[in-house]
Amino acid sequence: MELLSNLALGLDVALTPANVGFALIGALIGTLIGVLPGIGPIATIAMLLPLTFHLEPVSGLIMLAGIFYGAQYGGSTTAILVNLPGETSSVVTCIDGHQMARQGKAGSALAIAALGSFFAGTVATFIIAAFAPPLARVGQSFGAPEYFSLMVLGLIAAVVLAHGSVLKAIAMIILGLLFGLVGTDGQTASQRFTFDITQLSDGIDFAVLAIGVFGVGEVIANLTRGEESRSVMSERITRLWPTREDFSLAWPAVLRGTSLGSILGVLPGGGATLSSFAAYVLEKKIARDPSRFGRGAVEGVAGPESANNAGAQTSFIPMLTLGIPGNAVMALMIGAMTIHGIQPGPQVMSERPQLFWGMVASMWIGNLMLLVINLPLIGIWVQLLKVPYRFLYLSILLFCAIGVYTIGNSPFSVLVAAFFGVAGYIFMRLECEPAPMILGFVLGPLMEDNLRRAMRISGGDPMIFLNRPISLGLLIAAAILLLIVALPAIRRSRHEAFQES
Amino acid sequence: MTIDTPKSAPPPHPLHILARKNVLAGLMFIAIASLGLWVSRDYPIGTALRMGTGYVPRLLCWILMGLGAVILLQGLKEKDAPPERTSLRQLMPIVVVTTSLVAFALAIEQLGLVLSILLLVGIGAIAARDIKIWELLIAAIVLVALSWAIFILGLGLTIPVWPVW
Repeated sequence: MELLSNLALGLDVALTPANVGFALIGALIGTLIGVLPGIGPIATIAMLLPLTFHLEPVSGLIMLAGIFYGAQYGGSTTAILVNLPGETSSVVTCIDGHQMARQGKAGSALAIAALGSFFAGTVATFIIAAFAPPLARVGQSFGAPEYFSLMVLGLIAAVVLAHGSVLKAIAMIILGLLFGLVGTDGQTASQRFTFDITQLSDGIDFAVLAIGVFGVGEVIANLTRGEESRSVMSERITRLWPTREDFSLAWPAVLRGTSLGSILGVLPGGGATLSSFAAYVLEKKIARDPSRFGRGAVEGVAGPESANNAGAQTSFIPMLTLGIPGNAVMALMIGAMTIHGIQPGPQVMSERPQLFWGMVASMWIGNLMLLVINLPLIGIWVQLLKVPYRFLYLSILLFCAIGVYTIGNSPFSVLVAAFFGVAGYIFMRLECEPAPMILGFVLGPLMEDNLRRAMRISGGDPMIFLNRPISLGLLIAAAILLLIVALPAIRRSRHEAFQES
Repeated sequence: MTIDTPKSAPPPHPLHILARKNVLAGLMFIAIASLGLWVSRDYPIGTALRMGTGYVPRLLCWILMGLGAVILLQGLKEKDAPPERTSLRQLMPIVVVTTSLVAFALAIEQLGLVLSILLLVGIGAIAARDIKIWELLIAAIVLVALSWAIFILGLGLTIPVWPVW
């Protein structure tokens, strides 16, 4: 059994004391920022990128991954108890989760969310282990033209599946591509968009951009909005175990949410948020009595909470096997790999099996830890909500500043981060999602590289992209996606899917 | 992430149409594209086969310009979209956060980690209207200790801790 021996290798790596420690740190930080509104996994992972430079690659990635799926657990806690989504992926959990809490079933809702997440996390781990190797083999047969077309498809799918205006998202991708051009042109060694600033001749560092836009930008956005009052539920959570009735309603929803999330997570542009929204819509559609939704329906908690955790984890598949990030968090993970000089792509699995399987195995260990961290210790996390944002933002700001400075011991980077902070705030204010920009920034140089290589293969003939069957298929898929989103009927239902809350 | 905008009906004033989200976003993209085209005006373009330094940048800028124009037009055609309003109180955090980061950047190599943290926290705290002096002091002490423990002790980074003269 190849699968089992691979997982055994992974467990060997993941179970070293250091890596168990980093998985725990990741899970703890993930739960913490999941519980706290005002800071999400993207900002946190961006802030911690510079730190991972000083760790073993596998330890750093284990920790960052833990933050991402840990946040899915933490986010549901706030959603249920306080009616405030800690993360965008738990927005829909508020609807029925908080209603359950008001009916005195807070413990039941929390337990179902945590157990559903754990089940989904376990299944998703096995899905990664089973599907990643064949996908990587497909990836290894890809040449430069196929890669270029795959990235085109990835970017377009990311736009179509993300929420908000498609036009603005494409514009943000272009903006990301433009920011990626800043620096010295690799081909001609001439300077592009450097404004005669020597520090910019190496280009904009990925971590600096990400910390600026997501870390500093969110701090500004939260401060301008003013502090919202948080009323923490004062009642004690008496029963942590769901009733038999709740349980029998929940488990089919958990299964459905896990399947849906696993599929949507793999798609470019998918991931936790899309999965949870889609799962909620699904549960409401197939329910015998849809009117229960919004009044504390157990399925409305079980489905989305399983789906977001499954989606969070399976979104690692395209990143790990093909080197293609499907969402902003995966773009950050690619950034973390390149910091260590690891070129993401199908060769990672064959050349660095310890890294790959260690990370996959750590996900299951991390999920197990999260179950323990979240269920018995729930009271502690709820207390954390009483920490006012005025302390939180000072710490975030400081960590952004020190983190950015340590990347190259360059004070100039801090100024660049400040600039992107203001830019990030303006983007958010004008409802221009910054996530596509990060994808463009990461994929830009890769696309340019593959484009030039493809041109060298074909002797400058752009028809190479259409002559190769796989490349042609990928481009056709991209074109179909664009056409679909242009149809008014689809546009409307897409809009509704994200407006469900 | 949603940002609250005032829900009141917009008075029919041309300036308010300009203050709509999509109009502003369109204008922003057009402005960035124009800046990019202006900066790259002397970059050699080359041909599609032998792309010069300026080929991709200028192409991207033109696409961005086009997208910006479409977004702008869509924004102008929208019916009863509320105009963006920004009060002075909302601008304050932008200035404060930027200033605190700039101060940190200027201070870190000369004044060292401890004083730079105090500067950043001190300036940054202005954005929190209701912070008390003793809260600020405790926050500063905790953050100095935490940063020292993580970055100097834990990761062994060579950041100057105290002022270097």
